[in-house]
Amino acid sequence: MSYREKENIVNIFSTLLITSVFAWKVYQKHLAGSIELNDNFQTWGIVFLIFAGVSIVARIVIYIIFHIINAIATREEDIPKEDERDKLIKLKATRNSHYTFSVGFFLAIIALAIGWPTYWLFILFVISGVISELIDNGSQMYYYRKGV
Amino acid sequence: MSKDFIRNNIRRLRFNADEMTQQELADRVGASRQTIVAIEKGKYSPSLELAFKIALTFEVPIGDVFSYEPENK
Repeated sequence: MSYREKENIVNIFSTLLITSVFAWKVYQKHLAGSIELNDNFQTWGIVFLIFAGVSIVARIVIYIIFHIINAIATREEDIPKEDERDKLIKLKATRNSHYTFSVGFFLAIIALAIGWPTYWLFILFVISGVISELIDNGSQMYYYRKGV
Repeated sequence: MSKDFIRNNIRRLRFNADEMTQQELADRVGASRQTIVAIEKGKYSPSLELAFKIALTFEVPIGDVFSYEPENK
């Protein structure tokens, strides 16, 4: 398995881990009454900003750990440089990811239009964000395996 | 997804060039070894620039490295 494929597996794992842990923590706080998420847009904004920060830091930490473990296991310290095939694969995966998020965004708007509570807009944003991230990494793995 | 209709002779050319390894070819043309593997297997069609670099490495015309066969043949 190439470095890029392993990197994608780690990304899938970290996306699921970070989002589920953060969502669980926020939900527990909501149940405990320390934050109000039903129709408070400001709280949702704060939660999303904290999530962005936590997600970036956690991903950096997970990536460093992955690189160290990979370097020990394969005895290859250098990260393979990105060439034209890597860029093309990344581009196609990003396209697939954006299509997926667009569908999620559209579904969220439909949910608003048919009268679902406003918080569903944000929940559907999170779900479509996670799914589009998985599609991104899954697409990259597919193109690396099957060709592009 | 497969680009099988673009054939290449890279494996043979590497063998004739003192059994050049895929990594050596990759280093010379500025690509990764995985990309050379994908090209040899017909899973990736390189850009014109990379195709020319490969041809220049073996000092042969580009037509000796890559050939195109239309799908309906």
